[in-house]
Order: sequence, then structure tokens, then C-alpha cells
Amino acid sequence: MTPNSSGADQIDTLLWIGFVAATIVIVAIVGALLYALRRFRAERGAEPRQLTGDRRVQLRVGGALAAFATVLMVAGIVFTEKAREAPASGPAGLHNDGETLRIVATGQQWLWRYEYPNEAFSYYKLVVPVDTAVELSLVSTDVVHSWDVPSLAGKADAVPGKTNRVAFSAEETGTYFGQSATLSGQAYPAMRTEVEVVPAEDYEAFVEQRKSDIEAAQERVVGLIESGETP
Amino acid sequence: MSAPSKRPELAFEGWTPRRPRWVEIATSADHKDLGRALIVSSLGFLFVALIELLLMRLQLAIPENTFLSPVGFNRMLSLYGATSVFLFALPLALGLFYYVTPLQIGARGTALPRLGQLGFWLYVAGATVLYAGLLFTPSEAGVNPLAPLSELTFLANNGVDAWAAATGLATLGFVLLAIDLVATLRVLRAPGMAWRRLPVFSWAAAISSWLLLFIGPVMLAALTMLLIDRNFEGIFFAGGAGGAPLLWQHLSWIFFTGAYMLVLIFALGAIAEIVSSMSRKPLFNRGAVIGSLIAIAVLGTLAWMQNMLTAPIGVGWMYFAMIVSLALIVPFGLVFFNLIATLVGGTLRMRAPLLFAAGALATIAIGLASELSHSLVALAWRLQDTTDATAATHFSLAGGAVFGGFAALHWWFPKMTGRTMGETLARFSFWTMVLGMLLAFVPLFLAGGFEGQPADAYKFFDGTGVSGYNLLSSIGAFVLAIGIVMTLANALLSREGGAPAGHDPWGGDSLEWFALSPPQPHNFDVLPDVRGPRPLRDIRTAIGQRAARQPEPARESQPVA
Repeated sequence: MTPNSSGADQIDTLLWIGFVAATIVIVAIVGALLYALRRFRAERGAEPRQLTGDRRVQLRVGGALAAFATVLMVAGIVFTEKAREAPASGPAGLHNDGETLRIVATGQQWLWRYEYPNEAFSYYKLVVPVDTAVELSLVSTDVVHSWDVPSLAGKADAVPGKTNRVAFSAEETGTYFGQSATLSGQAYPAMRTEVEVVPAEDYEAFVEQRKSDIEAAQERVVGLIESGETP
Repeated sequence: MSAPSKRPELAFEGWTPRRPRWVEIATSADHKDLGRALIVSSLGFLFVALIELLLMRLQLAIPENTFLSPVGFNRMLSLYGATSVFLFALPLALGLFYYVTPLQIGARGTALPRLGQLGFWLYVAGATVLYAGLLFTPSEAGVNPLAPLSELTFLANNGVDAWAAATGLATLGFVLLAIDLVATLRVLRAPGMAWRRLPVFSWAAAISSWLLLFIGPVMLAALTMLLIDRNFEGIFFAGGAGGAPLLWQHLSWIFFTGAYMLVLIFALGAIAEIVSSMSRKPLFNRGAVIGSLIAIAVLGTLAWMQNMLTAPIGVGWMYFAMIVSLALIVPFGLVFFNLIATLVGGTLRMRAPLLFAAGALATIAIGLASELSHSLVALAWRLQDTTDATAATHFSLAGGAVFGGFAALHWWFPKMTGRTMGETLARFSFWTMVLGMLLAFVPLFLAGGFEGQPADAYKFFDGTGVSGYNLLSSIGAFVLAIGIVMTLANALLSREGGAPAGHDPWGGDSLEWFALSPPQPHNFDVLPDVRGPRPLRDIRTAIGQRAARQPEPARESQPVA
């Protein structure tokens, strides 16, 4: 998995920070434990010194732990804020006066529905222009789903009755996969999605095509009903 | 031929029961009988949970497997979650607390024995309801059934009702046991047993019980609301009709996070006893360890939103969850530091309890270290609900409840049965479990952390880069299960066939080792005057000094064997 937006990039950096911090903790504790267990074995007749504690040592260790925790807190906040930064559209992006492209993503058992600004919609596959700030409004019509395309953004839950937001600006064209990570019933593993990042003009052509296709289909249905061919 | 010992080893043969044995057990309100019943049934449910885990891992051994149906898998998952938390981990911790605490504080029983008895039987009722669900339809809603999936609209059969009733009955039972423990610890401490002299395991019992008094009612309220939603057209957690699905998440995570901390507090408390006795030293910085356990209970439970970092809750709350979670580094770090510092300079006897205690410390460290990275807000947007989170939870909780629980079991088994558990089998079991643990869950860290495999899914797809990890994990689960079954078998075999232990096989410092093994119904004939945090050691020292002052009379007249 390679990050393809600045937000995903920050999360990737944070992943390595978390990985290193966790490794330090594990190595320190397991190492000290193994050392103590191997070094201090029982000897006949030996009575160990009955040390009950040392306030100075305790304060120093506590201080060191607090410093470690503070460093992680600062790193967590700094990179979370960077990851949350509103993405900006670049020169190759969609020309809509620097406005964010707002798309509604509706989770439903077990398919994502994407609604574009011109009222065109698509299922399963989301098409977005490259180098353009995109904001997804995540809603759900039934149970909790999570929208998670790690190459583009962090995951977020679509909870019925609430609106959650995910924003990203894809750096390169391509197809990116994602899957929900919240148990949503029998077909939960099928709750996947695909994001196709295309050049801006292809995106515009796509949504226009979808819109006219949908209108044509609706007109045909209306026509069938009016003509009495369909009850 | 050694001189006759100062305190002859008395073997308690039991009193003659007036009624059949099963009636005695079923009607007993004695803390030792109930504690043992809780421990035995929780270990039985550990075995059941293992079978459920293995069935799920068989399904997940290869991509797009069809061994279990989707519904079948979700039912296994729900049963596994409820069994391992409500029927194994919590009752095991409470059972050991309930058995050991009155002995440690020099009490002749608990303060409210009938309440504790009711608590145990409510737990039994909960377990019965959960598994009676197998006769019709168990829950399909997962380990923590998030609303609105758990609502009637989406799961119309009675599975979730059975789940909610079962966990509710068990939780109510735990709360009653906690009330009994709190009362016992307040009013029945032996003369001189001030709070500052209370053994660390009893402190852990006190902290855990108080914690349960807070989180138990929260869960009971949430379960009641869920049952009202499902059966009386309520809308507490309904998605559309003005309900708040997130409310369920808040309430249930308060309980589950608190329970998580309870398991760790139990394990660390038991390990503290084992580590100090086995190295023949006092616990290093006792006060700091106890203070840290209190801080873990408070901060740990306050960190409940660490599980909700992808939910729409506002970034300020996310930072709150992160800061509280990372603040836990200080108390957890101090406990680990002091436990290891206790070993340093000691004279260690590497018997099974110490081995399992060390294993528990290492596995808990791995679990908590990965939880630490899950607390970084933006990183949680990557890792939450992936198999990375599954692995972290299992390292912490299996580290606490299985490794820590087994350490405590090996430690107090001689007290409960009068016999020690087999050392050789314990060693084989331990190393098999370590291998199984690493093999089962380290690959899940990698699959979740680097490939983003979602947790709790009944299948994964070929070509997503996680097939190898999952196969390894399935193999590891079987190795782990073999290791655990070895210890369960060891306990069964040693109950009758273990080496006789005597009243104090480990050279313990606290008062439970003053009682006979197994203790008499009234625990103690006489109570010593407690003058410090290590009363039994004080007694040993006093006996030694007296012997030094008054040389023993010459023994010519005694027969030579």
C-alpha cells in the first residue's frame, strides 16, 4: 500500500512513529525481564537485600515515562493536525474556482452509493478527479459502515443519523481499493469500494455521461408508465 | 533425619458433610467454594472459547474459504466474544479474588456471603442463557454488537436478546460479587491489617471491585435499553427515528475498556505477589505499584473513546481519548519497572508460577505497546478495526487472563487443593503457549498494520497480500490451544495426583499461606497480629529469633529414625 495523498502520507509517517515507539517499549521491557530472570538465580544460603523502594528512583522513572508519553502526544497531535488539513486543489485539478468537490457517500448493506454534485450517482465505484480537493460526506441508511481507502485517507465511520467527513486530494491517477472494517451483517466482507482517480476532463465527462444516462433511463421509465406498457 | 518442624504440617481431611456432596456445593455460600466454582467454570469456558477460536481460524486459514457459512461465522464470533470476556476472563479474575482476598486479609469469610452466592448463580444463569441460544439462534452481531446492527430491524431473531440477557445476568452477578468484596475488604480485615499493609493482590481486588461498581451498572443500563429497543419498540439506539447509535458505543466501550483494565489489574496484582515471593524480596516501591493500579483503573476507563476514533465524535474528544490513553504509559510503566526491579538482586526460583508471570508480563507489554500506537489519533484511522487491533487486544487480554491467570492458578493451586501442579507439564505448556501466541497473533499485526485486513470478517480475498499471514495465524492458534489444554489437563491431573504441598509451599509473605491447604471452612484457628505488609515473613522471623534465643533442648531421649 503506497500513500497517494498528503493526508495518507502523514498517517504513513505516524505508522512508523507508532511502530518504532512500540518496538522500543517491547524491547526495553522484554530485555530487562530476560536479563533479570537469567542473572538473579537462587543460590544456597543467599539471602537477598530487602530493598523496599527508593523514592528518587521512582520519580526519575516516572519523569522519564511522562517525557516519553509527552513526546508521543505531541507527535500524535502534530501529525493528526497535518492529516486533517483541508487538502488543496492543484493546477492539474478540476477548475471550479478552488471549491472543494463535495460528494455524498451513503453506506448501505452492502454497497456504497456515491452522489456527485450534479446529482449523478454511482454504486461501488467512486470516480474523482486527480489533484482536486474532494470531501466525502459519509452517511448510512442502515447500520454502521466504515469507509476505508488507506491509500487516500484515514478511515471514518458512516453512522446512521450522523454525518462524518473524509477529505483528500489524490496525487496520481489510478485505482485504489478499500473495504469496510465494521461488522455489518452477513455480507460484511463484500462491503468494499473502489476509487478511480482520473484526469479532471475525464471526471467531467464521466459525471455528464452518468447524468444523461440516468435521465435517459428515467425518461424511458416515465414514458413506459405513461404509455401504460408498465403498470 | 531432620528435627521435627516447629509447626507440624497438618493435613485437613475435610469435615463430614451432613448432606450429599453436590447439595453442599450447590448451596454453599463459603467464599472458597464459590471462588473455586467460579475458577473451575471459567476454565471450562476457556476451553469452549478455544474451540470457537479454532473454528474461526479454520475458516480463515485460506482465502474465500467456505468451511463456515457467513452467519455461522458471525455466530461463532459473537459466542467467542461473550464467552472469553463474560464467561472466562472476568469470572476467573473475580473467582481468584473471591477465594484469596478473605484469606489474605485474615477474614473468616466474606461480609455478605449470600450476595456473593447469588452473584455466582447469576453468572451460571448467564452462561446457561448464552449457550441455550445455540438451541435456536445465537447472536450474529459480533463481539461488541454495535447498534443499529443489534436492533430488531437488522437482526430479527432472538439471538441478540439472548446475548443481552446472558451478558446482563453475568454482569449483575459480577457486580454483586464486587459488592461483597468491597464490604469484606472494608469491615473484615484482621487486627492490624491496615490498608497500607494490605497485600497487593487484595489491593487489586479492591480496585477491581470498585471499578466494577462503576462500569457494571453502565453496561446493565445499556443492555436494558437494548432490550427495550428490541422488545418494546424503544428507539434508544435506533438509527433514523431520533435514537443515538453512538450512545451504545459510548456505554458499551466504557464497560469493555474498564473490563480490559480489570483483567490487567488482576494479572499485575497476582504477578506482584509471585514476583516478590519467588525472589524472596519485598515488592519494590509497593506504594507506587498500588497507586499505579488505581491510576490504571481511573485513566484506563476514561480512555473508552480510544475505541471510537473513527466515529463522528469531534476531534477534541479524539485528542482527549489519545491524551488519557498515552497518560497510561506512566502508571503501566511504573508497575512494569517495579516488578522487574523486584526481580533484580533477588534469589529467583524459576518455578512454573514465575515462568507464567514472566510470560504474562512480556505478552501484556506487547499488547499495550501496540495499543499505544493505536491511541495516536490519525494512526487509529489506519489501524482501528483491522486485525492489528485484534492482535493487540489478544496480546493484552490473553496475556492478562490466560498467562496471568495461569500464573495465579499455579500459584494458588496448592492452597486450594493441597497439591502442587506438575512442573514438567507446566514448562511444556508454557513454551508451547509462547510459541502459539507469537505465531497466532504476530502475523495478524502485520496483516492489519501493513495490509489493512479488516477484523471480524468471515473471509478474506486472494491477492490482497494477507493469505500467508492468515495461514500462519491459524497454525499458531492450534499450537496455542494445545499449550492451553496442557495446563488445563495439568490442573485436572494434579488435583488428585500432584505432590502434597503443605500450608506454605512457596515461602509466601501473606496470610493465605498461614491457613491450611486447603483451608478449613473457617479459614483460621488463630489470627496473627499483623504488624507489617509481610505478616507471614514476620512470623517466620519471630520463630527464628526465638529459636536462636532459646537453644533447643537436647534430644538424646528422642528415637533416632
